Amino acid sequence: MKDTLWLIRKTFLSTFKKPMNLLLYFVFPVLGILLATLIHSGSGDTELRMGIVNQDGGRQITQGVIDAVGRMDSMLVSEIEENEVKDLIASGELDAAIILPAGFAQSLIDGNPSDLKIISIKGAQVTGQLKAYLEQHINNLASVGRVAQGNEVKFKTLYENYQKNGFELATEKIDDQSINHNKTNQTIGYLLILMLVSASSLSGILIKERENRTYYRLLSSPVNARTYVLSNVIVNLTMMMLQIAVTLWIMITIFHVDPGIPYWSMFFILVLFALVAISLSLAIVAFSSSSSAASGMQNLLLIPTSLLAGCMFPLALMPAAMQQIAHFLPQYWLLDTFSHLQQGVSMGELSLNLIILIVFAVALSLIAIYKFGRNNDTRSYI
Amino acid sequence: MNVLEVKQLTKKFGDFIAVDNITMSVKEGEIFGFLGANGAGKSTAINMIASLLRVTKGEIEVLGKNIAKHGKFAKMNIGIVPQEMAIYEDMTTYENVYFFAGLYGLRGAELKERVIEALAFVGLGDKHKSYPKNFSGGMKRRLNIACAIAHRPKLLIMDEPTVGIDPQSRNYILGSVKKLNEMGCTIIYTSHYMEEVEEICTRIAIIDHGKIIAEGTKGQLKAIITNQKNIGIEVRSAENLDRSKLAGIAGVNQVKVEDRIIKITSDSEINNLNRIIQQLMADDIEIRSVEEHEPSLETVFLTLTGRSLRD
Ligand SMILES: Nc1ncnc2c1ncn2[C@@H]1O[C@H](COP(=O)(O)OP(=O)(O)OP(=O)(O)O)[C@@H](O)[C@H]1O
Ligand SMILES: [Mg+2]
Repeated sequence: MKDTLWLIRKTFLSTFKKPMNLLLYFVFPVLGILLATLIHSGSGDTELRMGIVNQDGGRQITQGVIDAVGRMDSMLVSEIEENEVKDLIASGELDAAIILPAGFAQSLIDGNPSDLKIISIKGAQVTGQLKAYLEQHINNLASVGRVAQGNEVKFKTLYENYQKNGFELATEKIDDQSINHNKTNQTIGYLLILMLVSASSLSGILIKERENRTYYRLLSSPVNARTYVLSNVIVNLTMMMLQIAVTLWIMITIFHVDPGIPYWSMFFILVLFALVAISLSLAIVAFSSSSSAASGMQNLLLIPTSLLAGCMFPLALMPAAMQQIAHFLPQYWLLDTFSHLQQGVSMGELSLNLIILIVFAVALSLIAIYKFGRNNDTRSYI
Repeated sequence: MNVLEVKQLTKKFGDFIAVDNITMSVKEGEIFGFLGANGAGKSTAINMIASLLRVTKGEIEVLGKNIAKHGKFAKMNIGIVPQEMAIYEDMTTYENVYFFAGLYGLRGAELKERVIEALAFVGLGDKHKSYPKNFSGGMKRRLNIACAIAHRPKLLIMDEPTVGIDPQSRNYILGSVKKLNEMGCTIIYTSHYMEEVEEICTRIAIIDHGKIIAEGTKGQLKAIITNQKNIGIEVRSAENLDRSKLAGIAGVNQVKVEDRIIKITSDSEINNLNRIIQQLMADDIEIRSVEEHEPSLETVFLTLTGRSLRD
């Protein structure tokens, strides 16, 4: 125990002595949050210029829908004619247009809303958000209509009530959540990559010590090899727990990103992943004869698998075959756990995911231990 | 008491036998020399004694206890100066010794004292805050030694501690070894340098192809080859020398000419000095002096192993 503490103390000291380590553990994850924030608030920050073609005359309900669009974040609304739509969008004066067809108000009162058209040349990112919002709003109105059973007077009273209650607020909140979730998942994606790299760098000390022969001296002292590796693992785990805690705290408290998952649940699951990262790094060390061989293997393994598992961009963007590969990667299971938790699935229902992460950690450690044992007698081990 | 007792020690790497059935013992207070050419198996034997390599066969006892059963006890009492430098380049000399000595359970004031003592001992007392990456080879070697002695081992194993360094550092190190020995530390000293071994070792084992082929004090080793004598003849000029005629004289094994000295190795039983001198006179060579030496350790090594220590 005394030995272990002595080794731990030394590893901590030399870890904190290197500025690169501090960058890796604490600065890069924050840059990750920053990057995620920039990527996922791009649509919200720039104003969206929206043209609305109203073919339904001056009906109050139709106007209400138009106002609701106007109340969306960063939305600049102007009423236009149908024949202007193409020109204005093509010339870039408008980002998108909505066409409210004739009889739209009536269709709402009847509780059976007619389709409206959204025209844009920007990607689904813009229209998707708008569509989701409008769908919510219109469905709400349609349900008001169904309650009123086509009775226009009754509808109006209900509708005014509905407006007073400020339902919009709720819909906007749901939109914000999706942005928050995206930011969280992107941040976690980056964090996973950084965790893998951090773990490898700390386990890499084992190889470096073999190379500069200090390992030889350590083993000639009363310290045994197991204590030595254990102390390295303890420091590795502690550093990563710090990394996780600090990153999550900064993301939530300073960047005001609400991940939609309780802090300690996230922390706990990420620590499971930290164990996977450490065992993987130990396996790499066990199979490498030199630091350069180890860093070669790391380059070959860490970044590509993280890409395939969806750490950098959503899996949905990849071909189906690639998406299948992701199932063999621990990063995928962590990201999958998080997005399910965000969708309100309980931790209990996700125990399979957690078990898969644990299995990864155990399997990789066993491989490392087996290989370490075999290495014991070769010249490179001294 | 024997500090070290090795019985039938063998190490195989695959089919290759690096250490072959070695039996030896080192008594308290000795400086025991381990002499052998490259690849003879010195480091392999030493690594097994220091528990760094698994033993294929045989037994090792340190201070009377078998290291297979009392590994920790053995390690506590052994200090090893490895053949290759084993220090942290990114830690100061002080931090290096402090860390390694701490592995032996030393803490606090006692630890600090020992670190300061060890650094002063190897002549790095004024370099506590320096980083070894800026050190000369000799200074690194000395730090390498400091890391091995701070915990005051009973048995210090030094694997070629003077390889590739300046004469000044080497003399310093040899001096330290003697001083350590006087302070009660038993030492196993491995070297390629015959002169070093001759100078400091009280007993010597010659190891070749994994086997100990001779063991004893300098005198005992030299006695092994008493059938040889070295004759050195200083002449004014060796130009006219007819080496083949000289070599043809009964008993003469080897004739070498170095500048103005003719070196002859000859069987000691045959008295041929007269005939040699006659031959030189016949060649009209002016003799300045004649000396007869007892064989050097170098000759002993050469005769026993058939190869020279260094390539
Ligand atoms: N781990 C190993 N695997 C295979 N062969 C080895 C190993 N270690 C040493 N050997 C071989 O064992 C023999 C003895 O090596 P060793 O290092 O003990 O020699 P040495 O006497 O210390 O030589 P040197 O003076 O060069 O240090 C050499 O032929 C070497 O190649
Ligand atoms: Mg050697």
